Amino acid sequence: MFFLYNLERRVTLHPSYFGKNMHELVTGKLLKDVEGTCTGSYYIISIMDTFDISEGRILPGSGLAEFTVGYRAVVWRPFKGETTDAVVVSVNQHGFFAEAGPLRIFVSTHLIPQEVKWDPNATPPQFTNNEDTTIEVGTHVRVKILGTRAEVGELWAIGSIKEDYLGYLLHLLP
Amino acid sequence: MSDLRDHDQPESEDEEDFNPAPADVSDDEVQNEDEDDAPKRSKKASPARHGGDDEDEDEDADGDGDGDGDVGGGHDDDDDEEDDEEDDEEDEEIQGHRRKRRRDKRNAFFDIEAEVDDEDEGEDDEEAAEENEGFIEQEEPGDYGEASRLDDDRRHRELDRQRDAITQEDLEREAQGYVRKYGNRRPARGMGDTGVVPQRLLLPSVDDPSIWGVRCKEGKEREVVFSITKRIHDKLGTKDELGITAAFERGGPNSVMKGLIYVEAYRQTDILAALDGMLNVYPRNKLLLVDIKEMPDLLRVQKTPTLEPGAWVRLRRPVKHAGDLAQVLDITENGLDARVRFIPRLDYGLRDDALAMTQDGKRKRPVAGPRPPQKLFSEVEARKRHPRNLTGNPQTNNWTFNGDEFEKGFQVKDIKIQHLIVKDVNPSLEEVTKFTSGGEDGVENIDLKSLAASLKDSSANVTYLPGDVVEVYQGEQKGVIGRATNVQADIVTLEVTEGDLVGQTIEVPTKGLRKRFRTGDHVKVIGGSRYRDEVGMVVKISEDRVTLLTDQTTTEITVFSKDLREASDIGGQGSLGQYSLLDLVQLDPTTVGCIVKVDRESLVVLDQNGEPRQVMPSQIANKLPKRKLAVAADRNGSEIRPDDVVKEYGGMGRQGKIIHIHRTYVFCHTTATTENAGIFVSKVSSVSTISAKGGRVNATVSGPDLNTMNPAKKLNPTGGRGDMPPPKVTFGRDKLLGQTVTIRKGGWKGLLGRVKDTTDTHARVELHTKSKIISVPKTDLMVRDGYSGREIKNYDNRRPGGPNGTPARPSQDRATSDWPSGSRTPMAAPSSRTPAWKTPSAAGGGRTPAWNKGGDGGRTPAWAEGSRTVNPYDGSRTAYGSGSRTPAWSSGAKTPAPDHFGSKTPAYSGSSGDAWGSKTPYGASAATPGASGNDTWGYTPGASGSSNAYDAPTPGAGLLGAPTPGALNAPTPGAYNAPTPGAMNAPTPGGGWQGGWGADSAPTPAAAAPTPAASGFASSSGYYGAPTPGAYNAETPAAGPRYTDDD
Repeated sequence: MFFLYNLERRVTLHPSYFGKNMHELVTGKLLKDVEGTCTGSYYIISIMDTFDISEGRILPGSGLAEFTVGYRAVVWRPFKGETTDAVVVSVNQHGFFAEAGPLRIFVSTHLIPQEVKWDPNATPPQFTNNEDTTIEVGTHVRVKILGTRAEVGELWAIGSIKEDYLGYLLHLLP
Repeated sequence: MSDLRDHDQPESEDEEDFNPAPADVSDDEVQNEDEDDAPKRSKKASPARHGGDDEDEDEDADGDGDGDGDVGGGHDDDDDEEDDEEDDEEDEEIQGHRRKRRRDKRNAFFDIEAEVDDEDEGEDDEEAAEENEGFIEQEEPGDYGEASRLDDDRRHRELDRQRDAITQEDLEREAQGYVRKYGNRRPARGMGDTGVVPQRLLLPSVDDPSIWGVRCKEGKEREVVFSITKRIHDKLGTKDELGITAAFERGGPNSVMKGLIYVEAYRQTDILAALDGMLNVYPRNKLLLVDIKEMPDLLRVQKTPTLEPGAWVRLRRPVKHAGDLAQVLDITENGLDARVRFIPRLDYGLRDDALAMTQDGKRKRPVAGPRPPQKLFSEVEARKRHPRNLTGNPQTNNWTFNGDEFEKGFQVKDIKIQHLIVKDVNPSLEEVTKFTSGGEDGVENIDLKSLAASLKDSSANVTYLPGDVVEVYQGEQKGVIGRATNVQADIVTLEVTEGDLVGQTIEVPTKGLRKRFRTGDHVKVIGGSRYRDEVGMVVKISEDRVTLLTDQTTTEITVFSKDLREASDIGGQGSLGQYSLLDLVQLDPTTVGCIVKVDRESLVVLDQNGEPRQVMPSQIANKLPKRKLAVAADRNGSEIRPDDVVKEYGGMGRQGKIIHIHRTYVFCHTTATTENAGIFVSKVSSVSTISAKGGRVNATVSGPDLNTMNPAKKLNPTGGRGDMPPPKVTFGRDKLLGQTVTIRKGGWKGLLGRVKDTTDTHARVELHTKSKIISVPKTDLMVRDGYSGREIKNYDNRRPGGPNGTPARPSQDRATSDWPSGSRTPMAAPSSRTPAWKTPSAAGGGRTPAWNKGGDGGRTPAWAEGSRTVNPYDGSRTAYGSGSRTPAWSSGAKTPAPDHFGSKTPAYSGSSGDAWGSKTPYGASAATPGASGNDTWGYTPGASGSSNAYDAPTPGAGLLGAPTPGALNAPTPGAYNAPTPGAMNAPTPGGGWQGGWGADSAPTPAAAAPTPAASGFASSSGYYGAPTPGAYNAETPAAGPRYTDDD
């Protein structure tokens, strides 16, 4: 789920950048540092604006200036039970991996409907029920997130397509 | 049980279970009598019995009436102390009678049997007690004697009839008794079973015969008892009737009293007599007298655990299989043996040698080696070694091999139950899976029910911790779900979290509890399974099996829910000691590896060759700290660092993020595969950058961007000076090709040949003497002039690759380079220029003469040319001086070359990067090549030029400014015209190869000459001592002599 979230961060700036456009530099550094990162439970998708850049403080010893910057960011946090669309990136006999933006989701065979079976002989290998559902690399699927796990710098999730309205959406050629 | 030998202990009054009543006087008398004359006593005792019975009953009734305690169910015996006291008093007599009964040997047997049953059913069952009582009471010695002649059936029927009759009588009598006694009193509690003797009153006292434990052969207990019975029957009625009253054994499968039978008798001598000469029993060994209070314990029946087909057990025997899991197929009727199947441990006779006969004809004891691993029986294997010992039916897949039976790969064997471990089997899922993997169709057919049953038996090792979410699956509270808040021994206090009881706290025994998880939960394996410490997310739950997807390897494992517990969000054992996942470790001095899996006691390491190895932490030499700043060049020469994303070129084309760079190996992590935790290893030279971390811009050329490191540039950012030209770089045709050479070393030493082909280090030489082409290291070649056969010295130094090559190369370099000076050099070379050149440089003064001196009139120019070669450096100098000149030069026609040079420059700078720091070093570094044997000539000027440029750029520039035009205008032709011939005449040979740089063009030869000179000088002179001036000074003379030599 996406949220608009007010956050704060300390940004340091090298002395060589001290000058008129320091605030721009600070903002630029903030964008570079923060956008697209994962904090543990959510991803910072985009920074809308910065609303409060404090006075810089020289850090003793290094000469770097530290600014405390408040900013507003669009964050995305996957929740247990949330349904999301994802693109399949790899398929193996234990299940398939799909990506919903930065989030990798694993869907185990246990969480795939019984009739959708692993077919290793197809090219590329796929899960299929020989009717309307064929899941291979590049397929768009709708997945319900069953659990998430945070690692340093990334999130992981396991998902299920074993419910109504979940599963195969369409296939885009990779 | 206390020591059986501890027999003299008096009965304790406070033992409720035992009868504390002292023996009455008459009993004592009787006992004394007994000692003397047992047979007489037994005869005497029997008539006393009937009376005793009646009296017994009456007394009892009295007692009950008085005490008002036992009348009801008789269950109250223990409740009422007073009653007990009174009872006890009255019991004295009762016991007296009972004792008399007991003295009857045959009755005693029955008594014991009955008592066992009784206890089995429950000690306080009065009715049962009554029946027993009756049963015992009916026994008469006469009957017994008669019965012994009858078959069992008949005896039993008779017994039943008698009992019925007596019970009838008893009831009537009792009823009368009650009416008489309680007729005008309040009714007694409950039904009056007053005929019943409280069971505890039946307990033995000192007046009863003693029980001795007699040693016998272990496992033969029952047999011994049977043979005693037989002997009793045999001797019955004869004059040497046995003096023992009872014999029994407690040999059960798990008994601690194995190897003992118990014989009841009044005297030890009776026992000795009775057991004399009997097999398997050793009465002559010390007999153990059983303490009176322990006697009842001997007869307490323990419920033996029941085995059912399908249950899991562990084996004690055969020793080879000790501890192995087995499944019960069947239980024999006598309940002593079980037919089990287990996975055989066969070596198919591989170690038969060990069993071979030794010389003295005795069999060696089987060596206790490592036992073979568990593996299903293989007919093929068996046939290989001992085809004769194998019989069986391939259709049913039943085999007999070396006397063992095998069914469908499993060994099947009848094993005594005492050799099975039935409790706390705790089979792990892996073990059980082995049993199922043998299914023909490969379909998993675990009988999870029986497995679960086996496991539940050992629920003791399930540990619950506060915080666990548990579910009650048994008992009244079945279905309640809650969170454990407190655990004490077997009781779990849980707070209900779901359902109607929400918020309540209830206590539940662990027996009926199981842990509860939900799909998606993050859990950790804690139990004794192979997967211990794995952390993962639950993907499937069925009953108490939970399938989870491990975090580390993204594989699915199935474990029992009891072995799981909820894990903190970030979990995972990823470390063993100091080693953690993805660490780079040194395995041996030449091998490093990246840890791709951490097990409980071992690590899996992917070594630099791409082989996963399982190692123990102790096998790791040390851990290599992660070098964040490690840098390498990929196959395109781009810089790669940790965290860059690279792709393999060729091979599997894997793409991944670099996690380690070690020498020429990169360890990358990819999410595309789970193999080796996604780690793969590759050579740096076979990966190409996909994206650099942080969007770092990679130079399109190899090496760091020296422009940013060049202090000169920093000083004069707008100076527009060209970079120092790079020397070296092998390109174009190897000048050695086609040269005539002699071989200096090896088997071919001294032979003359022609170079047909070269590599960096070797040349293929076609011998003149013999039609053969051999490969010789270039260093072992001596280049000779094709015509004169004269040796061309310093050829090596002039190698195309070296900076030295310069003299020879100018033309080529020029052709390829953008180096303005290169082109200019020749022009500068002309004699006209010499003066000009000298002038600017400090050394000039000294040099000019030297130079002149060195060469003839005609030669000087030639030499100049050579110097010109050098001049490239001058040229470079020029370049420093003025940017404008370059184009001029380019126009000369060499334009195409510039690119080459451009590229070269940085590389060169790179190698001498340090030199940039200060000028002096620069000079030095420039000189160094010269010193190393390269032509100083080319060098020196370069150095000087550069130094000049640095020192006083302006003058340098000015200087160059002037000469340049001159050079262009006239010298060039001059250079060509004059030097070339000069070269041809004499120095040519040297020049010829020197052409490294300018071989193609005429000047080259000219250059050749100087080069040697330079080197010669370099080695001999104090060039180092005083770089710039020295170089000049020394050079000139050096050049001179050298030149002369060449001539």
